Amino acid sequence: MSSLIGFLSLIAATGINFVLLSSKIFINFNINKYNTLVRFSSILTFISFFSLMYAYITSDFSNFNVFQNSHTDKPLIYKISGTWGNHEGSMLLWISILSIYGFFFSFTKKIDIELKKLTLLIQSFLHLLFSFFIIFTSNPFLINSVVVTEGLGLNPILQDPGLAIHPPLLYAGYVGYSIIFSLAIASLLNKNNNEEWLYIAKKWSLVSWTCLTGGIALGSYWAYYELGWGGWWFWDPVENISLMPWIAGLALVHSLLMIRGEQVLKRWIIFLSILCFSLSIFGTFLVRSGILTSVHSFAADASRGLFILLIFFIITGFGFLVFLLKKPETSKPITLLFINKFSALIFNNILMIIATLTVLLGTIYPIIVEVLTNKRISVGAPYFNSTVIPIMIPGFLLMSIAPILSWQTNKIRSARNYVIFFILISLIIVIQSYFSKFNTWGIVGLILGSWIIFASLFAVLTSYKLNFNFRFFQKVNPHIAHIGVGIAIVGITFSSVFKNEFTYNIVEGENFKINNTDIVFDKIETTNEKNFQSLRANFLISKNKKVIGNVKAGKNYYPVSKMITTEAGIFHEWFRDVYFILGEQKDNEWLVKVHVNPFVSFIWLGVIIMVYSGLIGVSRR
Amino acid sequence: MKLNLFSKISIKTLLFFCFFGISLSANENIEEKVKKLTLELRCMTCQNQSVYDSDADFSNDIKNLVKNKFEEGESEYEIKKFLAERYGEYILFRPFFNYNNLFLWGFPFILLTISLFFLIFKTRKK
Repeated sequence: MSSLIGFLSLIAATGINFVLLSSKIFINFNINKYNTLVRFSSILTFISFFSLMYAYITSDFSNFNVFQNSHTDKPLIYKISGTWGNHEGSMLLWISILSIYGFFFSFTKKIDIELKKLTLLIQSFLHLLFSFFIIFTSNPFLINSVVVTEGLGLNPILQDPGLAIHPPLLYAGYVGYSIIFSLAIASLLNKNNNEEWLYIAKKWSLVSWTCLTGGIALGSYWAYYELGWGGWWFWDPVENISLMPWIAGLALVHSLLMIRGEQVLKRWIIFLSILCFSLSIFGTFLVRSGILTSVHSFAADASRGLFILLIFFIITGFGFLVFLLKKPETSKPITLLFINKFSALIFNNILMIIATLTVLLGTIYPIIVEVLTNKRISVGAPYFNSTVIPIMIPGFLLMSIAPILSWQTNKIRSARNYVIFFILISLIIVIQSYFSKFNTWGIVGLILGSWIIFASLFAVLTSYKLNFNFRFFQKVNPHIAHIGVGIAIVGITFSSVFKNEFTYNIVEGENFKINNTDIVFDKIETTNEKNFQSLRANFLISKNKKVIGNVKAGKNYYPVSKMITTEAGIFHEWFRDVYFILGEQKDNEWLVKVHVNPFVSFIWLGVIIMVYSGLIGVSRR
Repeated sequence: MKLNLFSKISIKTLLFFCFFGISLSANENIEEKVKKLTLELRCMTCQNQSVYDSDADFSNDIKNLVKNKFEEGESEYEIKKFLAERYGEYILFRPFFNYNNLFLWGFPFILLTISLFFLIFKTRKK
């Protein structure tokens, strides 16, 4: 029953969007009709989504999708997250989020009416494309042809709280770019145009960038503790795909900031808007078509992959075609002074786009080579580390001096103080590193990170009156964001350059020592949980003969899908994570791997600060 | 002038430490060489994991093989070439810097050059 309701409301929503689109040709609706229709279709899409969720919660196995991806044993949270833990459901989530954005956008007031109409039209066009995709190739409401009482279960690796909220956040980021895309195209098509839409685009771009940041960070944190490899970023194609719209979106957010500098790069902003959404859809295509594991698995999913590829070409082609045909009237001439905020922003924008395109090339290069020469090659972490990071370094350097640059002139404020402090910080770091393990990248990252933190902090303390109300936090927000980046850079540098690994073959009761920490391999415990069996090794951690904590690391066995997952145990401290992985057992001896990852918490702290300032930024005009 | 001082000093410190770092990293022992190379090799039986990070039988074999070859005095390039011939270039996370992959490696720098020229051209015109 719920499947029927879901399917019918999806069809109805599609029908409404169809009516809205064709109304453009036959009758010209007024803006109120537009708003009503868009909201109505959004609500229908939610109903469709929630009826699928209802089918998952009630384990309604008459729905084929539920039967394939759910099981009565699962805890409630994973029944809910199971809704988007599969291809069909995640596409339904995609258009539901598209609808949420459309719904809220329809309440925008301070906007040219024709521009709003056009934007809503493009949104419903996007909705239509993706609804067709769902209805024809990935219908989550198919009826199960046989009567069953039990489902096949959700992939255990997805049964994790982090991964339950990761997809909705990530999609909120990807799909949020659709509003900016529609706005940008609408502004090109609309005749009488002012720059009002840039302010609206700024808000929405911040919303989606913030969601994307949170989504990527959650995914990365999940990889850190669930995969059990000790790292948190692997330059995996799927990660790269989320990174591309993130960097491009960062460039977009920054170029939209230039509205304050009174010099607007309208054409560049429109280009970025189209690029961001195109990259988002391209990412969806690569992941959803299954092209990533191998070019050959494309055949198995041909109709879906081709359909999304078609959607990608329609949207990107349409976007860039309008972009090329309808040039926005050139705004005020650009004057690039030698060094000020404006030219620094332009330079950083260029660097970010080069980084984005490099990630794009590295990700699709193996696919291109395989198609052309039938040879399989890999482009992995070493390539990205030695291309993307050097590209970003001048950008970080500019970031560190950003607070002392002015918008209009070439003058640099209080440069002397900065130079003195920069040299002082660098000296401290260099002397410190002289006494520990030396590493070039470590030095560069640390110096840049602490310069950025210091310069932004200094700017907050000297340039603003310190009174802790909301307006103050809005004003210093850009600096806060940069402090977050600085902290993240320090964390990333430390955790990737100065990490240590130790391997032990030990029996229960034995102990070992890492630096000044004593660790006892206490005992092995096995328990039966609701839908899995768990095996855990308990480690007691003590410093100076005082027990400061314990960590459990081990594996889970999921009988429904006959899969074993690694469950790393992490002992979090402010300045390091001690990361335990339980390996194979030989006779009585267990293989225990211990990673000491310094300053990992700084990465998450930095990200939290960035997300916070993204949210504050939305509230700022 | 103030800026010049600032940029000069920062560039000099950076350059100095780069060279310092390179000279330090020149003589690593075999353990470190093995680690560095196996980090850049794909474990063919795992999913996107490096040989160094994985404990699969395949990875352990490769680790031993690389170690032996280093002890016999072979260079990193020779070992990579040997592995690429045996398992295909798919095993290398860092593709060879050769004629075929010129575009891959040159791309970011081509982009950088183009955009720099574009910027100079744009600002000159005004």
